[in-house]
Amino acid sequence: MLKKARKERHIWLDIMLTLLTLELMSYFYYGIRSVVLAAVCIAAASAAEIISIRLMKRKFSADDLTCTSDALIIALMFPAVMDYKIAAIACVFAIVVAKNVFGGRINMIFSPAAAAYVFVLTSWGRKLLQYTEPHVKTGIFEKPEVLVNSASHTFDLTGTFKHLDFEILLGNFSGPSGAVSILLLAVAAVVLMFRRSISAGAFLGTIFGTGFFAVVTPAVSSKADSLKYSLVTNMVLFAAVYIVSDVRIAPKRDYYAFFYGLFIGIFSYVLVLTGAKENAIVIVSVLFTPAALGFKNLEKRIEKVAEEHNEETMISEGTGREGEVTGD
Amino acid sequence: MFLINDLIALLAANLILSRALGTSTIFIAAGSRKNLMATACVITFFTTAGATAAYFIDKMLPSAVSDLRLLMYIIVIGALYVLLLTAVYYTARRHFDELRKYVHVSAFNCAVIGTLFTINERASMNGSTYDLGDYAGAGLEAGAGFIISALILTAAYRKLNSSKVPAAFRGFPAMLVYLGIISMAVYSLK
Amino acid sequence: MTERRKALMDGILGDNIVLSGLMVISPVIVCGDTLKNAAALVYAFSAITFLAVLISSFVPQKLPYTVKVIIYALIAAIVYIPVKFASKQLYPESIPRIGIYFPLLAVNSLIVFQTETKFFRMPRRDMMISLIFCILGFDLVMLVTGFLRELFAYGTINNHIVDMNTLTDGLSKPFGGFIFLGLMCGAYRFIRNAVQNDKSEVRSGTDVSYK
Repeated sequence: MLKKARKERHIWLDIMLTLLTLELMSYFYYGIRSVVLAAVCIAAASAAEIISIRLMKRKFSADDLTCTSDALIIALMFPAVMDYKIAAIACVFAIVVAKNVFGGRINMIFSPAAAAYVFVLTSWGRKLLQYTEPHVKTGIFEKPEVLVNSASHTFDLTGTFKHLDFEILLGNFSGPSGAVSILLLAVAAVVLMFRRSISAGAFLGTIFGTGFFAVVTPAVSSKADSLKYSLVTNMVLFAAVYIVSDVRIAPKRDYYAFFYGLFIGIFSYVLVLTGAKENAIVIVSVLFTPAALGFKNLEKRIEKVAEEHNEETMISEGTGREGEVTGD
Repeated sequence: MFLINDLIALLAANLILSRALGTSTIFIAAGSRKNLMATACVITFFTTAGATAAYFIDKMLPSAVSDLRLLMYIIVIGALYVLLLTAVYYTARRHFDELRKYVHVSAFNCAVIGTLFTINERASMNGSTYDLGDYAGAGLEAGAGFIISALILTAAYRKLNSSKVPAAFRGFPAMLVYLGIISMAVYSLK
Repeated sequence: MTERRKALMDGILGDNIVLSGLMVISPVIVCGDTLKNAAALVYAFSAITFLAVLISSFVPQKLPYTVKVIIYALIAAIVYIPVKFASKQLYPESIPRIGIYFPLLAVNSLIVFQTETKFFRMPRRDMMISLIFCILGFDLVMLVTGFLRELFAYGTINNHIVDMNTLTDGLSKPFGGFIFLGLMCGAYRFIRNAVQNDKSEVRSGTDVSYK
């Protein structure tokens, strides 16, 4: 139990470190506004967590700090100029409705960040999908003068992506404040996978599913471009790391997690291709929650059958030996 | 690709997730996984057979007396109710006591009557192009939607009823929020 | 208050049909997004349920269960006709918005199932009191839901604009209804458990497994 708790804290630390790196990049592109947004999200999520844990008559422990990583994921999926009030509501929704109503971190069903993102999308979709250009720094209480659509939106609708590969790697294109830094995300994915802080199976499944379909049914004339842009747009990489591969949600065994990720990748790619649905992967990851639960149920059943089989084998071996002894 | 799109369309047209039709029934059936799937199957029978019969009612009923539609639908569902119970009695007499509770719970509810009214609404928008096949197909689709919702609920059944869920939310309230979040994701796909 | 009287009046708070029994929740989820819709549904539900259950109480109890249920549904469908006619005069704006949920009130669990499992097992006078309180319980939930959802989703109270600068549009949608009702149900149980020190689960008043 102690080992499990320590592992949970290590995972949280790993995730937080990579998220803070992304936040740093966001600060570089969008200025202090993105940092304040993250702080608002963390404060709102922490307050919601503390209050709801009190209502649940439990003690707040260091493990409950996972709410801060969820809050940071939410902040990084939002435009840097997102209304603070909406960001705070989203975090409260994530912690109270998508997490603690079901029992909190010990009985997770949805990814809180993904559920909160979909909630904001359905209520304040316009504010969520309008961004400032990189290097446009907005003051803490200033209103942005010019808002633009994301590069993903333009790509989904027109199939064009007017940015150099170097810009793509550094995240120098309009989009969610933390979900566009591709190089950092790729490094974070590798580090987190090797440290087993995310589900490697789910991550690889998502990337493989999206990539495979991007090659088989390309979104643009060149298959290589289709593969490249399908992976870097629509928050695919970000969601693959922090939402789909969340160890609290994804199936435990890599084999099942791979298929879970694969289906999410395929479905979200098809939605983007046929319906130009921006950031479809987040919505699909919420929709696939029952699939993740189904896989987990299957895992449990297999484990149970295996245990029963082992017990039976041990008993029969024991009986055999007894027989041998009696025979002697 | 088309299969995925069809599946998404089926989810988006799901009467429980998009219109909350049959929510009470799915919660009644949620007592156990077996109940849930059996009720879903019986409801599919009622929606499909009921929709087929509703085609003739809609064709014959003058619009001036459209308020009588409910009465007609109830007569049809009532007849199907008796027919199904009789069929179960003669074909599976040994299991009759076990099976009849599914028939009782599936006959008169929002899922079945709501489906008939939804199909009627759709037909009146499409005019004369909506034929018997469309009615039966829509009934079957609604039933399939109910089965999908039952599967969605079944997957989370253990977690939603776990002792880890706060006592106030354990069971139905958690199920409502769970279905709400899934419904929200379905809505955002539209 | 005597136990008997308390049991009869439980329909409002102690054993609310929506929050405790999860009955008739579809109209609350979909149509309970404004106070006007809520008022129209309150009227329709109260009239249809009261009249249908009252008339149904005269159906001979010796008839088989299936036949009785069909007769109750038929009675409700007949009661629906004059109620709908009157609604068109009283709530002309709300009727199109309520749409198919209006006729669905006629097959609500209170009429189809609760009659057999609860009401018709009581003396007629007790039945009437219990029925009225059950209906009032629904009305209360419907009005509170309509009021709060209208306030937070549209920033109005009964169509009058209120100074709200952040509106949660999603609350007016069916998924908002699901989540709102789920939270309300949890809050209701939390308060009830605190007041009554009662740890019982939400019942399903439409259980027919004994039949």
